Amino acid sequence: MASPVSTPMRTLIIARAPRRRRWRDTRDGVLMSLPAILGLVAFVAVPFIAAIVLSLYNVQVDQARAPKFWGLTNYARLFTDPVVSASFLRSLVNNFVFAIVVIPVQTGLALLLAVLLNRKLKGVRFFRTFFFMPVVFPMALVAVIWRLILDRSPSGLLNSAVGFVTGGSVPAHDWLGSAATALGSVILLSIWQGVGFQMVILLAALQEIPEERYEAARLDRANGWQQFVNVTAPGIRNTLIFVVLLTTILAFRVYDQVFILIRTAGANEGATQTLLYNATQAIYSENNLGRASSISVVLFLIIVIITLIQRRVLRQRSEG
Amino acid sequence: MTITRTLRRSALAAVAVTAAVVMTACSSAGGGVSAGTGTGTINVWAHQGQDSENAALQAAVDGFNKSQGKVTAKLRLISGDTYTTTITSTPKNQLPDVLEIDGPTLASFVYNDKLAPLSDYVAKGTISNATPGSVAEGTSGGKLYGLAMYDSAMGLYGNKKLLDAAGVTHPTSFDSAWTPDQFAAALKALSAADPSGKALDLNESGLSGEWGTYGFAPLVQSAGGNLIKNGKSVGMLDSSASVKALADFATWKPYTDPNADGNAFVDGRVGVAWGGHWNYPVFSKALGSDLVVMPLPNMGQGAKAGAGSWTWGVGSGTKNGKAAGLFVDYLLNDKNVTAMTQANGAPPATKSAFTADTLYQTGGALALWGEQLAHACAADAITKDCLAVYRPVTAGYPTITSKFAGSLSAVWGGADPKKSLTSAANAIDQNFADNNGFK
Repeated sequence: MASPVSTPMRTLIIARAPRRRRWRDTRDGVLMSLPAILGLVAFVAVPFIAAIVLSLYNVQVDQARAPKFWGLTNYARLFTDPVVSASFLRSLVNNFVFAIVVIPVQTGLALLLAVLLNRKLKGVRFFRTFFFMPVVFPMALVAVIWRLILDRSPSGLLNSAVGFVTGGSVPAHDWLGSAATALGSVILLSIWQGVGFQMVILLAALQEIPEERYEAARLDRANGWQQFVNVTAPGIRNTLIFVVLLTTILAFRVYDQVFILIRTAGANEGATQTLLYNATQAIYSENNLGRASSISVVLFLIIVIITLIQRRVLRQRSEG
Repeated sequence: MTITRTLRRSALAAVAVTAAVVMTACSSAGGGVSAGTGTGTINVWAHQGQDSENAALQAAVDGFNKSQGKVTAKLRLISGDTYTTTITSTPKNQLPDVLEIDGPTLASFVYNDKLAPLSDYVAKGTISNATPGSVAEGTSGGKLYGLAMYDSAMGLYGNKKLLDAAGVTHPTSFDSAWTPDQFAAALKALSAADPSGKALDLNESGLSGEWGTYGFAPLVQSAGGNLIKNGKSVGMLDSSASVKALADFATWKPYTDPNADGNAFVDGRVGVAWGGHWNYPVFSKALGSDLVVMPLPNMGQGAKAGAGSWTWGVGSGTKNGKAAGLFVDYLLNDKNVTAMTQANGAPPATKSAFTADTLYQTGGALALWGEQLAHACAADAITKDCLAVYRPVTAGYPTITSKFAGSLSAVWGGADPKKSLTSAANAIDQNFADNNGFK
């Protein structure tokens, strides 16, 4: 499509403005963005750089003696020291497993729900509200409720439901304490809490797709699945990419539910610990500020690398 | 995006600002203890305990303010779960004049210069009236930093009705404490007789926290092991005695009620509960004369029990040490100590109040546990006839308790005790080595 502005006019527009006006524009621009920049520096840049600096020291929180400079010892320990790396690498694995399971399952489920609820049926609004409700609850509350559901006694909700369905042949299971099902239980309750949020975003994207395309597809005698693949999926591609990116970053920030279930509900620590849990435990339980900082720096690097890879692989295309 | 000159300059400015902020934040604040004039306002911080404890403490503060006009004390309650973390993260020049400290964490606060020695500000009479346990708990590096209003007593509670119905004879003295086999047999009999099929409640959801170390390190010590000895944990925490203690502990899981609602014992779902003095008001109200107290199981070297609780100290940044000392003197007088221990059922930590406390003297309901406290010892000096063992007084305690409780929780979840305890011991030793033994 030809540009609406023809070449001669473009030369005129690019002519430079006088020097004084440029300085005034720059100054006003800096002044107007100063509050936001100060906030960014104070609350994002300073802690970020402080974390990098502190991770090079052997230091406790508010310690009276001078901190010892350790160079990269904290990082070396995270990956190679038999005492420290066991739990760090395990939490790395847990985070990856969590991400690999939750991203496709939660996104797929959200897409399914969004497609199902994108119709003009009576009562569809009720169902949309109903599926979105868990998102409103803070994750800590969700963890406490699911702790009761997953209680290991035969009278726990899940155990009694399983017992009812199987007629008592399956014994009560320790969902949170057993290494095999602990992470699965955490994944289940995380998906339960988060699917509504993605569903609402995808629903909005679905409603952007013009109805004419579906009519055209129907005229071409496309069945439901072909409509989905050729009309729906391309139409929500950008939103879907955004949702997947968002879920990836959130999947590496799993903390609330893991903390509550391990510290107050007896969940299997080895099977459910995550990187953020390790970092906060290093501070709260062992007062090891250097290690906590190094874990958070590693977490940051992991998220940056994964986000860059995802952006490379899934490039968002502009319309038309 | 090309790197323009403006961008480079602003990046440099950001780094400079950040470096300046980090440097000022990291520099330690000056100022130490000063005795002050003995007048004025002092700040008092305490942990938020049960409602009755908070009321008793507030009454003590109000009584102090009314009893004299020179010093006014202001009380601030901080959530109990995060109390220690709060004190750890508060720089010493922002600490209050008087603060409560969880006993075993006292040594690490002394290490980080957050407490002032008490002997300069607290009356000699108060110090000499403190029980040996209170003094032992509050002493670090040879100096006294904390004195307690109350100690703690713990053991097994039993429901006499359920025990008799199952035909189980329960121990009434330390010599007749259950061995691990007898305990398992008792649990089995109780479970068979109980419609819920469970016999024991040991508050399993709190195992990975301080309750794990407080309530179950005595099992390890009773078996002949310990958490740490002479600054080394390997060889002690993962000794065969310690491993056996935890292995026996894990065999009780089939008989244990998960107790999600916390009412397993008072509702009669279980016949035995692992608890302490803080449960006594509720349990005695629910069970009345059916409530019996028993020692913990004897894992080989005699039954042991946990001890130690919150103590009171003076902040190292106080400008009014004399006034702070006056407050501590008043807080530890018989009237206030008795009022507090009536409120929470704890054993008093002052000699005069302890001998007057009918609950813990001969004939009282918790006399058995009172006997424990009369035969108390420090964790590094366990003898055959000591019954209550205080938790180790060392600046490395946070890591010790975190690793042990984590091990305990893992073993409860099915992990191998030897592997779990060995990795815990290695982690503790590494932490000590990193900090030069906390000298």
